[in-house]
Amino acid sequence: MSRAHQLKISVSGIRGVVGGFFTPNLACAFAQAFGTYVGPGRVILGRDTRSSGPMLEHAVTCGLLSAGCEVVKIGVAPTPTVQVFVAETRARGGIAITASHNPPEYNALKLFNAEGLFFNHYERGELLELYHQSAFTQVPNAEMPGIRFDTETAPRLHIERVLRHVNVDRIRARRFRVALDGVNGAGSEMSVRFLRDTLNCHLHAISVSPHLPFPREAEPKPEVLGDLRDLILREHCDIAFAQDPDGDRLAVGDETGRILDNDDVLALAVDCVLHRLKGPVVVNLTTSSAIDDIAARHGCRVYRSPVGEANVVDRMKSAGAVIGGEGSNGGIIFPSVQYCRDSYTGMAMLLDRMAETGMTASQLASTLPVYHRRLGKAPFEHGRLGALMQSLEAGFPGAATDRRDGLKLTTEDGWIHVRASNTEPILRIAAEARTPARLNQLYGQAESLL
Amino acid sequence: MNARIPLRISQFGLRGVVGAGLTPTHVLDFSAAFGALLGPPAKVIIGRDPRASGQMIREGVASALMACGHDVIDLGIVSTPVIQHAITATGARGGISIGASHMAAEWNALKFFGERGSYLSTAEAGELLDIYHLKGFDFAQWDALGSYSRDDSAVGRYIDNLASVFDFPALRRFRVLVDCCNGTSAHILAILRDRHGLDLVLINEQSEGRAFAHEPATDQRTVRMQLAPLMRHVGADAGFLFDVDSDRVALATESGGAVSEEMVLVLLADEMLTLGPGDTIIANLSTTALLDEVAASHNGRVVRVPVGRNATADALAGFPPEKIAIAGEGTGAVMMPRFRFVYDGIASMLAILTMMHRRAQSLGSILAAYPKYSILKGEVPLESHRIPQMMDDIESRYPSARKNNLDGLRADFDNAWFHVRVSQTAPLVRVIAEQRGDPPTALFEALMDTVRSYNS
Repeated sequence: MSRAHQLKISVSGIRGVVGGFFTPNLACAFAQAFGTYVGPGRVILGRDTRSSGPMLEHAVTCGLLSAGCEVVKIGVAPTPTVQVFVAETRARGGIAITASHNPPEYNALKLFNAEGLFFNHYERGELLELYHQSAFTQVPNAEMPGIRFDTETAPRLHIERVLRHVNVDRIRARRFRVALDGVNGAGSEMSVRFLRDTLNCHLHAISVSPHLPFPREAEPKPEVLGDLRDLILREHCDIAFAQDPDGDRLAVGDETGRILDNDDVLALAVDCVLHRLKGPVVVNLTTSSAIDDIAARHGCRVYRSPVGEANVVDRMKSAGAVIGGEGSNGGIIFPSVQYCRDSYTGMAMLLDRMAETGMTASQLASTLPVYHRRLGKAPFEHGRLGALMQSLEAGFPGAATDRRDGLKLTTEDGWIHVRASNTEPILRIAAEARTPARLNQLYGQAESLL
Repeated sequence: MNARIPLRISQFGLRGVVGAGLTPTHVLDFSAAFGALLGPPAKVIIGRDPRASGQMIREGVASALMACGHDVIDLGIVSTPVIQHAITATGARGGISIGASHMAAEWNALKFFGERGSYLSTAEAGELLDIYHLKGFDFAQWDALGSYSRDDSAVGRYIDNLASVFDFPALRRFRVLVDCCNGTSAHILAILRDRHGLDLVLINEQSEGRAFAHEPATDQRTVRMQLAPLMRHVGADAGFLFDVDSDRVALATESGGAVSEEMVLVLLADEMLTLGPGDTIIANLSTTALLDEVAASHNGRVVRVPVGRNATADALAGFPPEKIAIAGEGTGAVMMPRFRFVYDGIASMLAILTMMHRRAQSLGSILAAYPKYSILKGEVPLESHRIPQMMDDIESRYPSARKNNLDGLRADFDNAWFHVRVSQTAPLVRVIAEQRGDPPTALFEALMDTVRSYNS
C-alpha cells in the first residue's frame, strides 16, 4: 500500500498530519458534529503540547460554540485529566486535542461522552454520520454560548481521585528517588508537582518543558528511553517513569536501569490491585498471558476484548472488572479512578506497592511470570486480508482461534495475534511464548505466511 | 441573489446572519483565503465588536490565520478604527475586523485590511474572492504554524494618536451627548472622558452581545429615537451616534435637531478644504450634491466613485495624499488625511468639535449657514433579470439629464439629481433623489413607481 497515511477520518475520530491534511476546517467541522451530537451544554477542551495544538484548539472552539456548546478550556492537560474533569463536572462531553503517541507532525481529536469515556462503537458511528451529512446545529447570535478558562481545577480533581486509592503518608515517608521522562508532553508540569510535591519524592526529571518539542520518539517504549536509563543509574533512583505526550501511557524502569516491558507494567498494576481487591480483569487480545497467570494466583478471571481503549472499557463495564488495560501500549485502566488509561494511577500504585512491601522495583518485577514477546507490523494490500488470515490459520492446525479482532491463534506454549490497525494501513503482528526459541518459531512462521 | 438565506459573499467580503446563513465553514475559508492573500507568514491584527457570535467567529478566524503561519494578535473587543491603527502602529501585514457595523445583532461579518490599515482595493478584494472560491489556501507545515496572543494596549495607543492630532484641552468646553448603540465606542469614549477630561455624557454605553437598545444605524431616523430628544435635557452642545464598530457617526444639534446623515461629510469637507492643503473630495455617487457646492466655494472638486469602500480605496490610490481633502460617504463614514485615511467615527466627532471651537460657532448655527437640500431614499426588491430593462427604461425617461453609469444610473439636472442602483449587500434596487430646496417628491415617486412596475 503506497498511499501516504496523512489523514484518516473513521469511527476512531479524525487524525492526520497538520499542514494541508488535517486542516482547521476539518477540526472545526468535526467539533460541530460532536457539539451537535452531545447537545447544548458544557464541553471540556484540553490539549497536549504539540505545536499544532493552539491552532486546532481555536478551530475546535469555533465549531463547538457554533453548535451551541459552552467551551471550558483547561489548556494543556493529560487526556485522563480531561476525562476525569468531564465526569466530575457533569459536562456534556470532552475533547482532547492529541495524537497520543504519534509523531509530532500528527494531531487528532479524542472524543469523550458525558461520563468522560471514549465514545462506544455505536456513538462513534452516529457521530461520523453527522459529520458526513454536515447536519450541524448552528445556533443564532441570541443563543451563542461563551468560553470559560479553568486550568487549575482539572489537575487537582484528577490527582485527588488517584490519591484516594493509595496511602499517601506511606509513600511520602519513603522519600523515593524517582526519575521521570515527561517527553515535554501534557503531563510534564503536572507530573513534577505530583511526584515532587504531593508524593514527596526526590525527583530527577528530564523533558518536562511543555514548550519544547518531543525529545524522543513519543511512544514510551524501552528502546527509546536510553536517557531515562542513564538518569536512573546516575542518580541512583529507586524507580523511573516515562509518559507519552498526552499522559495516558506509562513506561517504568527499575533501580537497575532496566526499562520494563509494557506488558509487565500492566501485569504489575494488575497484581497491585488484585492484592487488595479481588475481581475480574479485562485486557485486550494482544496483552500478555502473564495477566492470566497473575489473575490465577489471586483466583480471579480474565476477559479479553478487541484492541482499543473503548473496547476494553466496554468489556470492563460489562464484566465489572476491578482493573484492566492494554499491555502492549502501557495503558493501565483502574475504574475506581476513571475508566481510562492513566499514567498517574500507575505511578501512584507502584510507589504505594513498593512502600507497602518494602520491595524494590526489580524485586516486584521478578515476581512476574516470564514470557517472551515480539511485536511487528507488515503492510498489506486491500482485498488480500481474508486470504492472509486463512493461510495463517491453516499454518497452525490445532491452535485455538479467536476472531473478535483479526485472528488470534493460541497454542499450548504460545500465541500469535494478527490484526489490521484501526489507525494505519498496516497489519499488526504480536506473538508470545514461554521460550525465545518458540517465539521465533511462531513469529517467523507467521511472517513467512504473511 | 437568494433572499431566503441571509448570507452575502462578494467583493465587500463576508456577511450573514449567524447560524441561518453565516457558518464556521465560511469564516474559516474566508480567513484562510485572506491568509493566503497576505503572503508569507506575518503579524495579523484581529478584533471584534461585542456581538455574542463574535467569539465563535474569532476562534475560527484565529485558527485559519494560524494555520497559514500568521501570528495572530487579538485586540479583544475594539472598534474597527483601533484595529486599523494597530496594524500601522505594530507594522502588521494586515487585519480582520469581526463585526456587522450598523446591522442588527443577529448579523456578523468580516472586514479585511491590508498594510497600514488600508481597505482592500477592488483588485485585492477580487483576488481574495478568487482564492476563497478556488480554496487555494496556503497552509503552513505543522512546525511553522502561527501563534496567538492578546494585546490590550491598542486602545491606549490609538487614544495617544488622537491626542496628538486633536487639541483635547480646547474641546473640554463642549458638553457632548453620545449614543454608543451598545458598541465599541463606549470604552474609548469613557477613557477620553475620564483621562482626558472631555465632557462626554454616554447613553447605551453598556457593551451588549445579544440585543442592542435600537438598530445601530447612523441615520437621521435613528438619531431621532433617543439622542435628539435628550439634547436639551442634558444641555449638550453636540450629539453623536455611533454604529457598533464606531467607523460611522450621525449628528444631533444643541437644540435637539436630528441632522441628515449626509451632513457629516459636508461639514468635514468644508473644514478640511478650509484648512488645506488638499482640494479634492472623494465621494460616492449616492452622496449629496451640497458637497459640490461646498467644494466650489473653496475652488475644490468632487471625484464621484461607485458605492463601496473598495471603489473609494481605488480612487484614493490615484491621487497623491496631499491632494485629498477628505473622502467619505453620505452614511456618516468619513476619512481624513490627517487621520490616516480610515473611516473613523470618533475622529469625525473630534474634528466636528474642533470645527465648532475654531469657528466659535454652535453646531446648529454652522449647519444653518448651508443652503437647504432635501434627499429622499427608498428601496424596492427586484428580480435580477428585470434590472437591465428597468435601467434602460429610466434612462430613456430623462433624456435631458447628465448621466453617469459607473454604478447603476446617476442622472443630474440643474438643481436635482437621482441615483438608481442595485445594492451589493441585499437583493434590492436603491433609489435616491435630492433637490436643492424642497424634497423632490414628484421625481422620487415617479422613479419608485417605475422601479416597482418591474416588480411583478
